[in-house]
Amino acid sequence: MPDPVLQVEDLCVSFTSGGVTADVVRDLSVSLDGGRTLAVVGESGSGKTITGRAIMRLLPRGASARGRIVVAGREMLSADERELRRARGFDVAMVFQDSMSALSPYLDVGAHIAQAVRLHNPSVTRRAARARAVEMLDRVGIPEPADAVRRFPHEFSGGMRQRAMIAMALVNRPALLIADEPTTALDVTVQAQILALLRELQREYGMAMLLISHDFGVVGSAADDVLVLYAGRQAEYGSLRDIFDQPAHPYTAGLRAATPRLDARLHTGGERTRLRAIPGAPTSLRDAGPGCAFAPRCGLADQVGERCVVEAPLPTVRPTSEGGGLHLAACHLDRLPAPQEVAR
Amino acid sequence: MIVYIARRMVTAVFMLLAIAFVTIALFFGASKDPARAMCGKPCPPETRAKVSAYMQTDQSAVWQYTEFVKGLFVGRTYGEGAQQVHCDAPCFGYSFPNRSDVTTLIAERLPVTLSLALGAAVLCLVVGIGLGALSAIRKGGIVDRFSTGFAMFGLSVPTFLVGLLVVQVFGFMLNALPYSGFVSFSESPTDWAWHLIGPWMVLSFILAAGYIRVTRTQLLNELSADHLVAMTARGASTRQVNRHAVRGVMVPVAAMFALDVTALLGGSVIAERVFSLHGLGDLLLSAVNEADLSIVVGVTLFSAFLIIVGNLIADLLMPLLDPRIRRA
Repeated sequence: MPDPVLQVEDLCVSFTSGGVTADVVRDLSVSLDGGRTLAVVGESGSGKTITGRAIMRLLPRGASARGRIVVAGREMLSADERELRRARGFDVAMVFQDSMSALSPYLDVGAHIAQAVRLHNPSVTRRAARARAVEMLDRVGIPEPADAVRRFPHEFSGGMRQRAMIAMALVNRPALLIADEPTTALDVTVQAQILALLRELQREYGMAMLLISHDFGVVGSAADDVLVLYAGRQAEYGSLRDIFDQPAHPYTAGLRAATPRLDARLHTGGERTRLRAIPGAPTSLRDAGPGCAFAPRCGLADQVGERCVVEAPLPTVRPTSEGGGLHLAACHLDRLPAPQEVAR
Repeated sequence: MIVYIARRMVTAVFMLLAIAFVTIALFFGASKDPARAMCGKPCPPETRAKVSAYMQTDQSAVWQYTEFVKGLFVGRTYGEGAQQVHCDAPCFGYSFPNRSDVTTLIAERLPVTLSLALGAAVLCLVVGIGLGALSAIRKGGIVDRFSTGFAMFGLSVPTFLVGLLVVQVFGFMLNALPYSGFVSFSESPTDWAWHLIGPWMVLSFILAAGYIRVTRTQLLNELSADHLVAMTARGASTRQVNRHAVRGVMVPVAAMFALDVTALLGGSVIAERVFSLHGLGDLLLSAVNEADLSIVVGVTLFSAFLIIVGNLIADLLMPLLDPRIRRA
């Protein structure tokens, strides 16, 4: 079996401000093979985006990462500036959530793509890079690419911009694509198109994809494996099927229950049901105690008792469905009760 | 594009004609009589009437205006016989106290004001953008705190006070700089610069404040912008990213500079007075005191022309800097 495209071991990311240090990602280990999609899910502030940024070493000022990140055989955390530049946009590329602000207002769409080409291959002429941009725009389904290449980001619709950003990210055929909420800013029909495009290109290029999302609908339609983060810690990891059908962490179960379903009334025999919410808000990362970070919001903490407050659970292996692969959950409960009882 | 420029030019011509009319009307609305200043003391009423007729200031504002416009195309002749003076087309009027036509006067004074304004513009852009950029890069550092205070001071202190302080400190107390006079550039470039350092400091001190603030804010915005993070993610080096960040700073700076053409001209009136430089501002100021209509109209129009051209250049430059304001 070939080495995984992405390997993360014991990743910790901490922010320091005013002498106070807070871990926003703690003890994260995960690996991802080529051609597969790993979805990273969690609420705002759960560390999804920071994890994605840490992989590319694009952390904001004041943040530092420890542990080990290997992308396509390259150690990212110990890489020097030159090596990083070579990796960014070539081995690993990123699609951002807000395509309007992630594209420079001063460059036309073609210049963005041509820049990505020429940064990693200076011998390519400007003209050839522009031609490559047209080709790539055509590939991501932008009509009249020869004309579109000269347009500016603000002249594109949201969906078109996101397509252009995908073209820009994939022009060098990276081994790993980090898609940070790629469809969140788009309306539902366009969302589906963009996801389909990403899947299609992934198959074509055989790349690995890290899909950062808070939307279980998106995750369900695109992911192979799912990593659930809570307060910067791994709550659960498993195949899509395991996560959806037999979640082993109360937080995952809560997220599932909080996802609106169009067919909800079919399941309840036509009765109207209220959408379930997970009570409370994510814990502040600064005053994280020794216990389980989810305990204050967990409906099942009472069943375990004291242990949830004093001891942080480590990820342990859980049962999998047929051909499910690894399934890990960080919960003191060995088995979750039936879904209805989970979220109070 | 060419159509756009042509349209702006035509608008500018009409604007200038309107400004000329307003200036003439305002001048005649004031109680000063140009003839009174010319006829000397004592001034019997009949002499005064004669002088007034000779200078053609005894006519109505509307008549003055039509004569002025006519003079632009065919020139203008005042008086008769031995006293006759002629002002060639394009005639912007004739200054009797100076015994010269206004065009010549402006051409004479222009190098002084131009030296002053251009030097001050360069200095204030360099200082303003430089300090602004440094404060943004090291936000909260010493340079940042110093330049924020500096900008605050520059924005709140009136020009003449700064001018007097510079003359007092550098001219008299330290005896380091000349406090008056002008040497033309062609005569001696070093002396030219030497005599202008004081006025440049005064003018740019006031103007630099704005550039410090705008550059700092804009660069801070740019440096944290997503599209620069995305550029790094594409594999660009820090230097390439920073160079791109400058693009975003240039837009508001260019817009501000276009408006500051006015401030440069206005500020130079005061700076010229303080440093006894005989430039356009000085010409205008003494013309107002001597009730010299022709110069007031001429210099006002010339300044207005500079401002209009400055704005036109900015309007043409802006879409090149920022494609978002390009017209469809």
